[in-house]
Amino acid sequence: MPMGTPLVAELSHVSLVYEGDVRALDDVSLTVAEGERLCILGANGSGKSTLASVLCGLLAPDEGDVTLLGERVLAGGKVDFAAYGRARRRLGLVFQNPDDQIVTSVVEEDVAFGPENLGVTPQEIGQRVEQELRRTAMGEFAKADPTRLSGGQKQRVAIAGALAMHPRVLVLDEPGALLDVRGRRSVMRVMARLKESGTTVVHITHFMEEALAADRVIVMRAGRVALSGTPAEVFSHSGELRSLGLHEPFAARLAGRLQELGLGVPWTTDEEELAQAISHLAEGVGPKRGAGGREEAPPRAAAADERPLAVELREVCYSYQEDRRSAQARRALEDVSLCIAAGDSLAIVGQTGSGKSTLLRLVCGLELPDSGSVRVLGVNTARRRERRLLRGRVGYVMQHPERQLFAETVALDVAFGPTNLGLPADEVERRCQRALELVGLLGKEGCSPFELSGGQQRMCAIAGILAMQPELLVLDEPMAGLDPLGRERVAELLGRIKGRGCTIVQVTHSMDGAALADRVFVLDRTRVLAEGRPEDIFCAENEDALHDAGLGLPTPLAWALALRDRGVNLQALPLTAEGLARAIARACQAGEVR
Amino acid sequence: MALRLTLGQYYPGGSLVHRLDPRTKLACSLACTLAVFFIGTPPQLAFGLAGALAATALAQLPARKVIASIRPLVAVLLVLSLFNLLFVRGGETLLSWRFLTVTTAGVHAALIFSMRLVVAVMAMAILLLTTTPMQLTDAFDAFLEPLARLGLPGHELAMVFSLMLRFIPTLADETQAILDAQSMRGAALGEGSPARRLRSVVPVLVALLASSIHHAEGLSRALDARCYAGGAGRSHWHPLRMTGRDWLALAVVASWIFALILLGHAL
Repeated sequence: MPMGTPLVAELSHVSLVYEGDVRALDDVSLTVAEGERLCILGANGSGKSTLASVLCGLLAPDEGDVTLLGERVLAGGKVDFAAYGRARRRLGLVFQNPDDQIVTSVVEEDVAFGPENLGVTPQEIGQRVEQELRRTAMGEFAKADPTRLSGGQKQRVAIAGALAMHPRVLVLDEPGALLDVRGRRSVMRVMARLKESGTTVVHITHFMEEALAADRVIVMRAGRVALSGTPAEVFSHSGELRSLGLHEPFAARLAGRLQELGLGVPWTTDEEELAQAISHLAEGVGPKRGAGGREEAPPRAAAADERPLAVELREVCYSYQEDRRSAQARRALEDVSLCIAAGDSLAIVGQTGSGKSTLLRLVCGLELPDSGSVRVLGVNTARRRERRLLRGRVGYVMQHPERQLFAETVALDVAFGPTNLGLPADEVERRCQRALELVGLLGKEGCSPFELSGGQQRMCAIAGILAMQPELLVLDEPMAGLDPLGRERVAELLGRIKGRGCTIVQVTHSMDGAALADRVFVLDRTRVLAEGRPEDIFCAENEDALHDAGLGLPTPLAWALALRDRGVNLQALPLTAEGLARAIARACQAGEVR
Repeated sequence: MALRLTLGQYYPGGSLVHRLDPRTKLACSLACTLAVFFIGTPPQLAFGLAGALAATALAQLPARKVIASIRPLVAVLLVLSLFNLLFVRGGETLLSWRFLTVTTAGVHAALIFSMRLVVAVMAMAILLLTTTPMQLTDAFDAFLEPLARLGLPGHELAMVFSLMLRFIPTLADETQAILDAQSMRGAALGEGSPARRLRSVVPVLVALLASSIHHAEGLSRALDARCYAGGAGRSHWHPLRMTGRDWLALAVVASWIFALILLGHAL
């Protein structure tokens, strides 16, 4: 950092211990310069959020010295409350769940709430509200009810509310964790604008790609700073990152893999640099032969016709009758037909409000269609008596299932379902053990579910469903809010369950994840946009349609298309990172042979 | 979704009623709600309903919004009417079958007592539809100021009320999610013996409590982050100011109530 830049935060040998002797911060020393964009990475439970609270003056550490905006708020573990009060007025915070941050039911009044607390004059408040709503592109929603907005819009309201207090430092604690692709993009755009206007930004995230835009990256582990430097420096420690439960951005992973395959590309986190190096290597390769050919599309699902259908929706329509605003019906699904063969995995993608969650509720028999029919595991859900037969055969993992944990111990929570099914005690016990083993929580039976880490709570909630041994597992964004390691664990778990013959239906925001399913179902504004195998859905021809629906292409495919535009003669358009690396290697080596 | 309440349903607009000081609106609708209990005759009821409709028109609220606010009460009113119809005795007997007797007084009570509540509900609905929760909070704050002078948390009570309005829909959604999740896990909600039903409610309540605490923690972090420290040192974007309009509205409502009571004595 350049000499002479004033510091907005200075932490020296800071430690913070929570109840139960949990060391959230352990001897952390850190400075943040004015105007800097700092990104903090780390697995769940590494102390990131605690550090965020300390940086914005909401938590006072137990030991060390803290200076915020020139106010010495903590000296040798002694808190100066008056100094904290002064510093806090110019420190802003936005965190994960926008629902908890919005305190009123009109957008503009919520933005005004902070300035009102600071005693700003009415005229000045009016100016600030208008200015910040414009800056976050929420101007047209000034009079709207925040509960009616999408997650991305709500989060922008929360950011506008923080900015209206004119903070010198804005701390964003995983602002995109609960948002869809479009919502995350919009939050990133707002952050880039803040940087231009000179506001210091501290950004905490689980998405490695987002860290690339920062001036400096810090990686936390068990309350300590494990790595620190520019994004390129930090991400060059790939082995260490993996041991911390993180991974490098896609470009760096690809570069590393290409080097392993013997290609002379430089290691870099910069997408442009890598793409240039690849096209340089591939120069001089002969004319395209059979471009558009698909790599390794295994002839799977050939026997699909003979398998029984696990789920069968025919021309289903559904509307919410009791809409709060309009009093008339609001369409949620129109003319949706869908078949899933037993044992298949299906990924449902679509932006917020496209009807994904409603579709899942119909499949679970929690809602009945206005017209059309829903058959699940051979049962027509419209018949009340038959619907009872589904109990225990369909498992439903809702969004954030860990919020519904309730029992005193992990074992009791997991046993809730099987016990309700009326199974004998020894069978319940056996199933619980098996479910806990599957999710990797054996040995935690006696713990309170509320003591587990975020990722473990998610696994415990999923175990509660698996213990019922469902034939059909329905999941609503099972990876939302998890760190990379947690996401990987859930993906592995779903693979194992599918291996046992369970049909899996999941709603996901991740196109890379959807590309790994047997089939993909694309919903857009209550209607079906496309349905088919991932390689048929995710292709160059559909790119515009997917983009219009607020979606995108899986990263490997987007790369392949971009490289092809640069003249790299790729023989295949792969959907996985490994497939892409191999296709590139082949294209480049063919070039060398000639 | 069925659990959604109609509280906190602000309907944006720029009508005369929207622009009134929230204290005026709060005072007027409270007075009207109380005055409704003076209604005892059909002319009074007609006068009351006419007043409510006039206020709705002045507020430029679409009829369906107001109807939607009354709808949750319809079931209660029907039951109330039925009780009045069957148990209020007096006047001529219109119908008598075994132990069921319907009298003119019963019909009278059934109509008047339930319909006058409609007027009260409409008064409240107009208040909630034309006033933002923040304005309501400010109004409560003003009315509770005597409490604050006695050292009681008047301002804080008003803030709690406002947050309640804001979080009712959120918690209603959450309750629905918990009910769904547990019924998918085979919970016998609303089935079996009363004892069994009662037992099945416990896990729902515990999960709801846990999630409320979770929200409360998030909310307290948010209030801290936005430097909320009670009423002292706070400014208002739209400071409350009584204008000629407000005094006029108060006068109109006062004379309306006076006329309503008078109407009952005249006839």
